[in-house]
Amino acid sequence: MTTTAKKRERGQPWVYVVLAGGLVVLVGPFVWMLLGSVKPDAEIRRVPPTWLPEAPTLDNYRHLFTELDFPAFFLNSVLVAGAVTVGNLVFCSMLGYALAKLEFPGRRVVFALVLGMLMVPGMVTFVPLFMLVSRLGLVDSYAGLILPWLASPFGVFLMRQFMTGLPDDLIQAARVDGAGELRIFARVVLPLCGPALATLGILTFLSSWNNFLWPLVVAQSEDRYTLPVALALYAIGENNTRYGLLMAGSVAVIVPVLLVFVALQRHFVQGIATTGLK
Amino acid sequence: MRHWRHATAVVAALALGVTGCGRDDGGPGAGGPSAGGAVAEGKATGEITVWAMGAEGEKLKALADDFTRENPAAKVTVTAFPFDAAHDKLATAIAGRQTPDVSMMGSTWMGEFAKTGALDPTPAGLFDQAAFFPGAWDTTVVDGTAYGVPWYVETRLIYHRTDLAAKAGVGKPANWQELTAFARGLKEAGGAKWGISLQPGGTGAWQSFLPFAWQAGADVLADGKFTLDTPQMRTALEYYASFFRQGLAPSQVAPGAQESGFVSGDIGAFVSGPWHMSILREQGGAALEGKWDVAPMPREKAGTSFIGGAGLVVYRDTDNRDTAWKFVRYLTSPAAQQKLYDLVGSLPAVTATWQSGKLADDPLLKAFGAQLADAKSPPAMATWEQVADVIDDGIERVVRGVTDPATATREMQAKASAIGTGS
Repeated sequence: MTTTAKKRERGQPWVYVVLAGGLVVLVGPFVWMLLGSVKPDAEIRRVPPTWLPEAPTLDNYRHLFTELDFPAFFLNSVLVAGAVTVGNLVFCSMLGYALAKLEFPGRRVVFALVLGMLMVPGMVTFVPLFMLVSRLGLVDSYAGLILPWLASPFGVFLMRQFMTGLPDDLIQAARVDGAGELRIFARVVLPLCGPALATLGILTFLSSWNNFLWPLVVAQSEDRYTLPVALALYAIGENNTRYGLLMAGSVAVIVPVLLVFVALQRHFVQGIATTGLK
Repeated sequence: MRHWRHATAVVAALALGVTGCGRDDGGPGAGGPSAGGAVAEGKATGEITVWAMGAEGEKLKALADDFTRENPAAKVTVTAFPFDAAHDKLATAIAGRQTPDVSMMGSTWMGEFAKTGALDPTPAGLFDQAAFFPGAWDTTVVDGTAYGVPWYVETRLIYHRTDLAAKAGVGKPANWQELTAFARGLKEAGGAKWGISLQPGGTGAWQSFLPFAWQAGADVLADGKFTLDTPQMRTALEYYASFFRQGLAPSQVAPGAQESGFVSGDIGAFVSGPWHMSILREQGGAALEGKWDVAPMPREKAGTSFIGGAGLVVYRDTDNRDTAWKFVRYLTSPAAQQKLYDLVGSLPAVTATWQSGKLADDPLLKAFGAQLADAKSPPAMATWEQVADVIDDGIERVVRGVTDPATATREMQAKASAIGTGS
C-alpha cells in the first residue's frame, strides 16, 4: 500500500463507520461469551437477553476448576496442539523447500499429489484414518492424537508458495560457499520464512486446539481428553446445556490462543499479505 | 451445525458399510437366533470397559464401585464422553472395531447400530421383560431380536400455567377437542400470547408430532411397511397444524424463548420431558412456584406419548461377555435404578423402582410415571435418522402452509418408502 492511498483512506470517515460495524459483528459474540461466563444459567437463557450481568458470579469458573480436572485436560491440549504445530512447521517447510527449490524427477507429480490431497475433504478420510490408527494399535494414545496430523497438504502448499518467491541466487551463493542442502535449508531458507512459518504455526495451532471430533473418537479414556472434548462432556447434557459452564470453559479455551495470536500477530499479517493466502 | 450433520451422515454410512462386510467371524449373522446364549451363573470376574455419555456417565462410576464391591474379582473401567457427537463416536468405534464391552445407547439409534452386527443379542432368560416399561423395552428390539436393555427413560407431558388455566376456567385436557379449547382458553381468557408451544418443524419435530399420530391411531410402520399416508396420519397432521393455523401456537420459537415465554406468561403451555422441571424451577424462581403443573397427553383413540432415554448394550467383540451382561443386569436392578435416580435424576426404566420413595410420592414425577405406561418410540430401524428427516420436513411444510396434510403425508410415504427400513 502506498502512502498516498493511506492518506486518502484516512480522510474518509465512512471507512471507519464500516470498520466499526464489522468490529461490532466480530466482537459482539465474544463479548457476549465473556459476560455470559459470569452470569447464572437462568439469566443467560432469558429472553429478552440482558447484556450486563445483574449479579456477576464466578460460580461458572469455580465449577470449571472443581468439577473438571482442568489442568490435566489443558495439558493434553497443549501437548497435542504443540506437537502438531512443531511437526507441521518442520515437515511442511522441508517438503515445501524441496518442491520449491530442488530439481528432482517426479517433482511435479509430488506437487500435484499434494494439491490433490488438499482437495479431498477431511470427512471422507475420517473413518478410514481411524481404522488405520486403530489397526496400528494407537487408539487412546497421544500418538494416535498427534501422528495423523503431523504434516498437512495445506502447510506444504503454503511453504512451497512462499519459498518459490525467495531468490535462487541466495541459495546458489550458499552452495558455492560449500554449504550442504540441510545447512542451506536451516541457515539460509528458514530464517527468511518467518512470516510463512508464523502463519502456518498459528493456523495449525488453532485448528488442532479447537479440534473436537478426532480427539473425541481416538481418546477412549478421560486421561486423554483434550479441552474441547472435556468441556462438551461436562457442559452439554442430553436435553439441557449448562451455558454458563460452557462459556466459562470457552473463555479458558480461547485465552491461550489469543496469547499465541497476539505474540505472532505481526508476522501473521505479513504472512498473509505475502502469500495471498488465508 | 450443518457441517456436523454431514459429517455424521458420512461417518454413519461408512460405519454401516464397513462393518457390514467386515464382520464375518463368529456369531450369528442376519436372521440369526432371536436371543443370545446364556450367561454363566456366579460372581463376575475380570475386566470390562464401559462407555457412557454425559452426567450419567460421570455418576456411573459410583454404581460401578457398588458392583465391584459385590464382585471383588471384577474390575469396571468407566469412560464418560460427551452427548455432543456421541453418535459419531459410537459409529466410528464400531467401524474401527474399537468398541468397549458395554456402552450406553440412545434409544432411537438402536436400529442403526444393531444392523452393523456389532451388538450382542440380549441373552435369553437374563432379564424379565415385564419388569420394564413396555415402550422402553420395545426400543431395544430390532427385527424381533432384543439388543441390550433400557436403562433410563423419559416421556413428554403438557407443561402448563395453572394460574392462567384457572383464569380461563379450563382444566387438564382429556381429549383433542379439550386440548384445543385449553390452548384457546389460555390465550384468550388467560392472557397468554400463545396458548401452546409446539415444535413447528426442523430437526426433531417428529418427537413432538408422533404422539399425536399415535393418539389418532396412526403408526409409522405396519408389517414392515411405512404407513405414513393413512387417514389417521392425515388427521393427526391436520390437528397438529391446526394450532398454528388458528394462531394458538407460535410458528417460530427462538432457542430459549419457550422457557422465558412460559415464565413471563406469554406461552401458556408446551410439551416436553422431565428435564424441564429443573429448568423451570431454576429460571422461574419463587415467582413461578405453584403456578405450573404437568398434564398427561390427551386421549383420542389412545393417550400415547413419546418415550426416549437410553439403553445399555454389550458389544459382540467383548472378551468378557459374562461380566459385561452381569454388569448390565446389575444396573437394571431396582436398587441400582433407584441410585441412578438419586444421583442424576434419570427416570428408572424398571417399573418396580416407581413403587416407593420420591418417585411414588412427588405428584409431578408420578404424572411422568403414569404416562410412561402409555408411551412409545418409533420402531427401531437402521434408516431411522433419514426417515425422521422426511417426517420433520413434512411437518414443517404443513405448518408453514406450503402443502396440505394430504399431499404432505403422500410425499412422506413416498420418500420414506424410497429410503426403506434398511432390513
